[in-house]
Amino acid sequence: MTSSYPSGRRVAVRSAAGHVPGVAADAFLGAAGTEPALPPEEAHQLLGRKGLLYKESATRLALCAVHRALGLPPGRPTEPVGQGPGTAVVVSSNYGNVNTVREVVASVRAGSRKDVSPLQAPNASSNVIASTIAIRYGLSGPNLMLCSGAVSGLQALRLGALLIRAGRAERAVVVGVEPDDATVRQLALLRPTSNGRHPGPRAAAACVVLEAADPARADQVLLGPVSHHGELSAAVKDEGNAAELRLISPGPAAGAAGEVPEALDLSAAVGETYGALGVLQAAVATAWLRARPGSGAARAALVSGDAEDGWARAELLRPAGPMDAGAM
Amino acid sequence: MTKLITGVEIRTCFGESEATFEALAEGRSGAGELRHVDSGRLGVNRGYHVEDAPDEALLRASEWLSDCVASAVAQSGIDVMRARVAVVVGTGLRELRAVERLDEPGITLRTAQLHFTEAVRQVLPDATEVITVCNACSASGHALALACDMLDLDEADAVVAAGCDAMTESMLAMIGRVSDEPTDQLRPFDDERMGVLLGEGAAAVVLERGDRPRTGRGPVLGKVLGVGLSCDAFHETAPQPVGIARAMRDAHERAAVTPGDVDLVVAHATGTALNDPTEARVLSEVFATAAPGPVVTGIKGSTGHTSGSAALMSVAVALQALAGRPVPAITGLRRPLPEAEPLRLVIGAPATVPVRVAQVNAFGFGGVNAVCMIGGAS
Repeated sequence: MTSSYPSGRRVAVRSAAGHVPGVAADAFLGAAGTEPALPPEEAHQLLGRKGLLYKESATRLALCAVHRALGLPPGRPTEPVGQGPGTAVVVSSNYGNVNTVREVVASVRAGSRKDVSPLQAPNASSNVIASTIAIRYGLSGPNLMLCSGAVSGLQALRLGALLIRAGRAERAVVVGVEPDDATVRQLALLRPTSNGRHPGPRAAAACVVLEAADPARADQVLLGPVSHHGELSAAVKDEGNAAELRLISPGPAAGAAGEVPEALDLSAAVGETYGALGVLQAAVATAWLRARPGSGAARAALVSGDAEDGWARAELLRPAGPMDAGAM
Repeated sequence: MTKLITGVEIRTCFGESEATFEALAEGRSGAGELRHVDSGRLGVNRGYHVEDAPDEALLRASEWLSDCVASAVAQSGIDVMRARVAVVVGTGLRELRAVERLDEPGITLRTAQLHFTEAVRQVLPDATEVITVCNACSASGHALALACDMLDLDEADAVVAAGCDAMTESMLAMIGRVSDEPTDQLRPFDDERMGVLLGEGAAAVVLERGDRPRTGRGPVLGKVLGVGLSCDAFHETAPQPVGIARAMRDAHERAAVTPGDVDLVVAHATGTALNDPTEARVLSEVFATAAPGPVVTGIKGSTGHTSGSAALMSVAVALQALAGRPVPAITGLRRPLPEAEPLRLVIGAPATVPVRVAQVNAFGFGGVNAVCMIGGAS
């Protein structure tokens, strides 16, 4: 069954950033800037040292992506960022705290609770990433942690927009993040694969800041409909003209040869980023739409999912500039 | 727009809905010996377990969730083939217990089983989408808020808001780590409370739009008037009064009620050192102008802290009061802590009071707050 969500107040991308250590920035069409992304253990260079003790890799990477998307100078902010009270946080991650959970249990089974630091306590709860972002940047709007599997990243975009459309927030900091560790490597092998191979997990984060788009401006990148599909073939199908950019994972190797022409498969290029993928796709598409020469309308289709969770599809749109208004 | 509640089911340590309501009416506690884990190493001896097979099944929360969703949807009579029915599941701990058991012999796990898409689709294969919201102890309150928003924006014809959690060893270890001595009984708002004990279970509520012909054919059980959300953005584990008050005021505004309209509060009331005095102070402050103020109860002394499903379990109890049943007393409460003395706490025996508007509080780790305003069927 298919459903889509076009309604209400328009929502635009205010800013976006990818943060994927160990991958050349040009894989992200400009979304990751030009500097190499800091790995979790060096995150303090961007975030400042204070407050990172016992913060998991996923939390550190997520903070780096948010820091970059908000355009902040290096160091811990000394006061809430502008518009903090009206800003929601929506984070997608499936593997965020799985390794911590296992390590805590291993320590207790080998000894007792006394072998675990109380500073680990917040990490036992999967929403630690979303709440840590809110605390660090003073974002006191609604705060959501999504763990919905392979469609989680695009769901995060959809729910960020929902919170804005429902009048719960003026902005939404939407984050997708996954770590890479021993437990992730074990769990990643338990996921379905279209061709019997796993690209291997990749620690990755991306942040897309959404805002209400009224009144709409010509140079904005707007979030179009987000929909859920049971079949990949339905998710990749364009309504009307073909999208100018197609970011689809799994790519053509998914057994849908011919159905997915000229699509960019970030997973093949970067590695398996699971719950981070939808947001990473959105960051890449935003950068590409912004950099596109001329002022013509353009559209990017984003598809991610798997055989177990189904497929989510989102569109990002750049409306035609004033010069092209007659051509719309 | 008002949302109609047309199906409700819960599963607790006492069993299904009616068994739970009876236990609450009698003031029983479902606490027992902690199972499946080494309580000596954890420093936690007791918990409020759901009664199920003695051999710990791998995906317990998923089973309870499936049962509750199926029952609530059946009550509502919604036609899932024709209507757009979305499902939002709130959880604190997902199926992380399965990750803790990954190295046991004979365990086979698929990654998709950590969230609840499959558990829902097993009983509701035509759901348009399944969203797992991992928002700690207020998760199902957040699920209810999102369900309301999806109906308001016409993104669904009906939404199932649900919640579920089974205990994890890692969370128990953290509770043990920060406790001076093991807790025997969860005592909400009690001056000599010893801290929280975990419960388990699931809950599901079906919501339909109130401004259009119904999708389902079941009786209307009540209404969601509005759900307020906020994040303290303050501390990872300690609650903050300003953030909690903001969620309450947001809820009242969205529900178009004033503090004087609220007859009953089903409090979060976890029996911890910090939550209870903070919640009591904020309730006193928010309802200061509404003397004598609402009657206040809480269910965790009976059910334990059921984390992701807690908010919707409290909603189910509020619906009973809205339907005319007495308000259950707070199990485990003997003498209120000083901050709670100004409140009209239900102590000792159920209170027979007319209830037209009820408020359900849920606050979670990370300062994530959800406050639900519930009305009766008529």
